[in-house]
Amino acid sequence: MQILTQLIFSGIALGMIYAVIAFGYQLTFATSDTLNFGQGDALMLGALVGLSLVTLGLNYWLMIPLVCLFGAFQGAVVERIGVRPAIKIKSEFGWIMSTIALGIIFKNVAENVWGRDDLKFPSPLPEAPMKFLGANVLPMEVLVVIGAVLMMLAVEFFNRKTIYGKAVVATFNDRDAAKLMGINTGLVITFSYALSSLTAAFAGVLIAPLTLTGATMGAVLGLKAFAVAIIGGLTSGMGIIVGGIILGIAETTTGFYISTGYKDVPGLVLLLIVLAVRPQGLFGKSAIKKV
Amino acid sequence: MKRSHLLLAIVAIAALLLFPIGIANPYYIHLLETIMIYAILLFGLDIVVGYTGQVSLGHAGLFGVGAYTAGVLVTTLGAPLMLALIASIGVTAVFGALLALPALRLTGPYLAMVTLAFGTIVQILINEMTFLTGGPMGITLTKPPLFGHKLDEREFFWVVAVLLLLSLIVVHRVLRSHLGRAFEALRGSPVASDCMGVSVYRYKVYAFVISAGFAGLAGSLYAYSEQYISPNSYNFELTVLFLLAVIMGGRKSRIGSMLGAAIIVLLPKLLDDVEMFRYVSVGLAVLVGITTVVGIHRGRTTVRQMAIPLVGSIALAGLSFWLQTMTDWRLSIFGVIMLFVVYYLQDGIVGFVRNALNLQRPKAEPQPTGAPLKGGDAVSTAAAVDAVGELLSATGVLMQFGGLKALNKVDLRIQRGTIHGLIGPNGSGKSTMMNVLTGIYVPTAGAISFAGRSVVGRTSSDIALSGIARTFQNVQLFGEMTALQNVQVGLHHSFNSKLFDVALHTPRYLRESRASVDRAMGLLQFVGLADLAFEEARNLPYGKQRLLEIARALALDPQLLLLDEPAAGLTAPDIKELITFIRKIREHGVTVILIEHHMDVVMSICDTVSVLDFGQKIAEGVPAAVQADEKVIEAYLGG
Repeated sequence: MQILTQLIFSGIALGMIYAVIAFGYQLTFATSDTLNFGQGDALMLGALVGLSLVTLGLNYWLMIPLVCLFGAFQGAVVERIGVRPAIKIKSEFGWIMSTIALGIIFKNVAENVWGRDDLKFPSPLPEAPMKFLGANVLPMEVLVVIGAVLMMLAVEFFNRKTIYGKAVVATFNDRDAAKLMGINTGLVITFSYALSSLTAAFAGVLIAPLTLTGATMGAVLGLKAFAVAIIGGLTSGMGIIVGGIILGIAETTTGFYISTGYKDVPGLVLLLIVLAVRPQGLFGKSAIKKV
Repeated sequence: MKRSHLLLAIVAIAALLLFPIGIANPYYIHLLETIMIYAILLFGLDIVVGYTGQVSLGHAGLFGVGAYTAGVLVTTLGAPLMLALIASIGVTAVFGALLALPALRLTGPYLAMVTLAFGTIVQILINEMTFLTGGPMGITLTKPPLFGHKLDEREFFWVVAVLLLLSLIVVHRVLRSHLGRAFEALRGSPVASDCMGVSVYRYKVYAFVISAGFAGLAGSLYAYSEQYISPNSYNFELTVLFLLAVIMGGRKSRIGSMLGAAIIVLLPKLLDDVEMFRYVSVGLAVLVGITTVVGIHRGRTTVRQMAIPLVGSIALAGLSFWLQTMTDWRLSIFGVIMLFVVYYLQDGIVGFVRNALNLQRPKAEPQPTGAPLKGGDAVSTAAAVDAVGELLSATGVLMQFGGLKALNKVDLRIQRGTIHGLIGPNGSGKSTMMNVLTGIYVPTAGAISFAGRSVVGRTSSDIALSGIARTFQNVQLFGEMTALQNVQVGLHHSFNSKLFDVALHTPRYLRESRASVDRAMGLLQFVGLADLAFEEARNLPYGKQRLLEIARALALDPQLLLLDEPAAGLTAPDIKELITFIRKIREHGVTVILIEHHMDVVMSICDTVSVLDFGQKIAEGVPAAVQADEKVIEAYLGG
């Protein structure tokens, strides 16, 4: 029982990271029906830039806003180079391929700048586990959960309460109508990409002290977040948190009870089952197509 | 096939088969063999990417499944070549179905996301399932025996070459058949293809499964060719390479696939050699520079348009001299090439050359046999001419979008063999009614029965096949297909041939194929478009496009035909013609529902007219009575 509680706690921490990345997918999917296949690489870049800043002697907490700024810039670059031309020519193939290409380039650059080996990210919090309900919980894991929730709440608040947020929501509802109302929808889309990469970079520095940091860390995380986004529903904020937690726990328990080698399998299986049974996701709404 | 083409093909095949005799170096033989194996996979991938427009990021994984199926069967059971190949195709196709069936239920990037996950998981599973796959150690196997004779490198090359040619023929035949037309149609207009009885979902899955089968075949050949397979060969990079090959070579082109295969096999070799790369990148920069100068000089492009590629190619050349070794930066250069191809070489090399030399895409122009059609013209008499009674009855149909009631408890009864007008001001719910009847919307409440069967909840394609055909208010043709092919998509239901018949061109397929050309020509003649049969639909003038839609709808052999504003955009003489042939259609026993704003058309041909306003039926009766109805006048003129 104690082990199970333990697994559930680590599962939740892992799941929240997936949820934050999936949240990034939702942000861009909402405004432009596209998503960044290099989202995992945005996370990786955030973590590595953060690591460099910390190594330079910057405090972990002061580093976070800088990394977020970097993430936003990186996201805007992806949108300008990779996504905007594809939206213009209405090519799904185009944005998928170009975001993948940019992801490959980012990863390769990171390999050349930071090396191919995984690095250790110094933990800002004590690394001694705390006891909670009989299970060991790392302080960093608690920080991950809190940080992830705060991030998502902040963006939600922004979208609902500010005039800029309303422009984002309007673009989401009807891109053409928003454009006619004088909203610069191109800018909104760029902004959503900046926001999306910002959350990914933030997730990167949150999770980096818990795992090893390196050029390859992003790929699998980005992939899992796909599964979470689909399981929860590409349009539901609640869905990705629940989906993230389900997947996180499924993985830690599979890893423990079956084999760590198979821990990536439940993600795909869950993904296929959800698509087969409830294609719009557990919490998603099915849209009515208009002719 | 034209004579010169045939000759060219024979020369190419002969050169391919004689290659290992002329060049004995096993390195080059193996290189060309790998190109051919990749080409087989790319033929399949092109069906998914080029024709149905979906993106698969799982083809490296499927390739791996094929390779390991062969590897495992050979090492554990000592399976012979033929069995291993067939089993690989089968197993991989099953995997393809498992992925495609759930992933394609929604439109959007789902297939890409699911297949990406699949590709990663396959690699992990191969690594983990040591008892079957040997794990990270991989599997070693030898060149297989065939008919009791053990093949050497050169003989296996011939086996691959023969299979390449067979694949080429099969893919070519599939894409020229009703299946290929279905793949193209669902991309051109998903709604229209569903309403022509070609289920978008089913044929997307079908395309993916066929494509997976080719990936499996290629994978198993690869296992024999390399004689060693290990999990790391089937990684994400390979998947990206495959996609790059399809788009760089040229979509919807077999030559493009072969060219793409050659590029992705040779490119990594090129990128390993920094000297060579310097020459190539300088060459590229010069080429782009010349194109820019010539293009701007002739006014075909602007400085702005050409700035990015020009700067990019010069930067690439500069980079090549700055780098000491290529291996570390290989992937970045790869990424840059991908970006370049996606935005500046969208039609691939084949498309680019075709454009530059002003060549036409090879077009199939099947000629009708000239056999006389039953009953004088091509319109079917499937619906009995003198049947009477109720064909369609809708009771209390409610269609709610959020708080808006687009249709509010509408009753509609359509008698067999009549022309039933449906009129009303804009936004009164006429088109919504059409969409409800054809299954595009599922009504919130109410019952609809057509020829004694309920329509509610069935898919559009199922409803279409049971005998309801329609046209669209905003024309929904398959733009890149010819007029003839558009009508042939409507005739899809007349094919019983399976994949097997198409691949082997069995008599059944040939008969059905000829019959569909004759019927389609007949229908085009009926609407007066026979001489435009081989013109692409998007090039037709608007009025003709509307007529083509009617011909396509008639191809479905409907009992009920829904015409949504057929006269919109037609000139006065065209409208007169339209009236005569709507009458003719009715004479064949086809019941017609007509939505129209041209009142003279409605009043002159309708037997009954129903009037909708704000989602409610406000009047019904013979045209003259409706015309005089107070409520109707008020609805149109405002009160």
